[in-house]
Amino acid sequence: MESKVATQLGQECLQGLMRVWFDFERQLGRVPIIQRLERGRFTREDYRNLLLHLRQQVIEGARWITRGASSFERDYADVRSEVIGHAKEEHRDYEMLEADFVAAGGALEEIRAGQRNAGSEALHAFMMYRASQPNPVDLIGAMWIIEGLGQKMASDWARRIDEATEGDGRYTCFMRYHGENDDAHLDKLYTLIDRVCRTPEQQQAILRTARVVARLYALQLEEIEHG
Amino acid sequence: MSVYITSTGHYLPGEPVDNERIEAVLGLVHGKPSRLKRRILQSNGIRQRHYAIDAEHNTLISNGEMAARAGRACLDDSYLDKSRLEMLSVATSQGDLVLPGFGSMVQAELGVADVELHSSHGICSSSMMALKAAYTGLKAGEHDNALVIASELASRLFKASRYEAVAQEVDFNAEFLRWMLSDGAGALLLENEPRRRCFRIDWIRGFSHADSYPVCMSVGRAESDGRSWQDFATYAEAEAAGALLIRQDVRLLDNIVKLGVDGLLRLIDEGRVEVGRIDHVLCHYSSHYFRGKIFDMLTQAGAAIPEEKWYTNLYTRGNTGCASMFIMLDEFRRTQSHRAGDTILCMVPESGRFNNVYMQLTVVEE
Repeated sequence: MESKVATQLGQECLQGLMRVWFDFERQLGRVPIIQRLERGRFTREDYRNLLLHLRQQVIEGARWITRGASSFERDYADVRSEVIGHAKEEHRDYEMLEADFVAAGGALEEIRAGQRNAGSEALHAFMMYRASQPNPVDLIGAMWIIEGLGQKMASDWARRIDEATEGDGRYTCFMRYHGENDDAHLDKLYTLIDRVCRTPEQQQAILRTARVVARLYALQLEEIEHG
Repeated sequence: MSVYITSTGHYLPGEPVDNERIEAVLGLVHGKPSRLKRRILQSNGIRQRHYAIDAEHNTLISNGEMAARAGRACLDDSYLDKSRLEMLSVATSQGDLVLPGFGSMVQAELGVADVELHSSHGICSSSMMALKAAYTGLKAGEHDNALVIASELASRLFKASRYEAVAQEVDFNAEFLRWMLSDGAGALLLENEPRRRCFRIDWIRGFSHADSYPVCMSVGRAESDGRSWQDFATYAEAEAAGALLIRQDVRLLDNIVKLGVDGLLRLIDEGRVEVGRIDHVLCHYSSHYFRGKIFDMLTQAGAAIPEEKWYTNLYTRGNTGCASMFIMLDEFRRTQSHRAGDTILCMVPESGRFNNVYMQLTVVEE
């Protein structure tokens, strides 16, 4: 195994991102619904509730990525291409999520009529704001968290959910699907870090956005308990 | 004021037991050989270990006596007479008695008078907590010296009869540590001045994450309903419910790697660790499997410490829980080449409920 990032600044940035991620995992460990999942005291209703709240952010996720893509100017055309590719791959993910909700015993109209909780509102607003800035390189920080979470869902949550709710994988497709292209996605991210982290200011912006997204994502999950 | 590790010692009971003989000592559960043993041993890489019990399950030496022997070996190799010892700081996962504190029992075995006493409670990191208590005691000028001892007698938990006493079939998590842990003790002497070639303690720092993670390694909890062994009407019922088995939730173990790396990155960020300046790494990883994982993740982060700088005696001395780091440091001091000015990084990531302790030493010559 080799170091994934070549430049000095990129390496510091990656170390910072790893620390933000580890801290995020600890934040997740304090969220009630995730604690229940980790302790195997998680019901199918918990799962439907989780999907219901996740969906409102997932469906908006494609919007900030595409908005972000359009904010990259000509000097970042290569980055724009990467981001567009990413958006294209994921912009219909919410359909899979909705199908899981139905397969887990939920009603389609219910999830479609769902509202963003306070955490999803904050996360969505922050992402749209950052994505609207010129050359928003700090979106890499957001992608780091979202990508990492996809991996965690696929490698850990999906299995735990099926075990706790006696599922057979039929209604955890959305979470499992995220694991399939993870390595390729992560490798692209590593390359992007070298590409867009060229100044200390950029490094700081990337880490800051990663921290904010992590916090707001955790808030979104905490808010599940409140409606 | 600087604090120095001026002497070290260890005690490992009996003759080394190789992988073929483990089951002859610990016993066949319901007369049948384990189906998991080979797989677990392959993953942890341990080839030899020591047990304080014999094949008839007599305890040949108590935990307190092992601790005292390691302490005596350490003092015998030092310039300090035991009558001048000021502090005794002791760690174990499980003393011979539930009460009183292990430190009291070790003090009596060792025969040292009037010391200030400290006992640490926990699993692998408890020795580092005991060390830190002694280190800060000297640093604050409270004492001129302290003997720190860590000792484990895990094999008593692994006797076949313990597993046979459980009503249900024993699962993987309950058997995992049977092929991992073994017995032994290690000791370090701290003084506020250097002697010959010794180690200066630059800092000791722990990060505990129990608030974010479930219990990963435990004794005393029934798997079915999470009840404490003390909540059963009788201890016999607790044992039948499996509450007295030592368990590891292996699915949570990957977190130890992440948290181990996280702590190191944190120390790099704080400027306490400079990866390029580290000459030796002594890491208490419970099994070989994790060494590779820690190594890969550090490499990925661009914070790799070259493999030839890593030292361990896990494979020949076994995983002796909290005693491991002291036994490792003792053997390192006696057998490995190191020079004045060398920097040694010690890491003890504990899976109990995720407490990671780090220490940096500098080799000094009086």
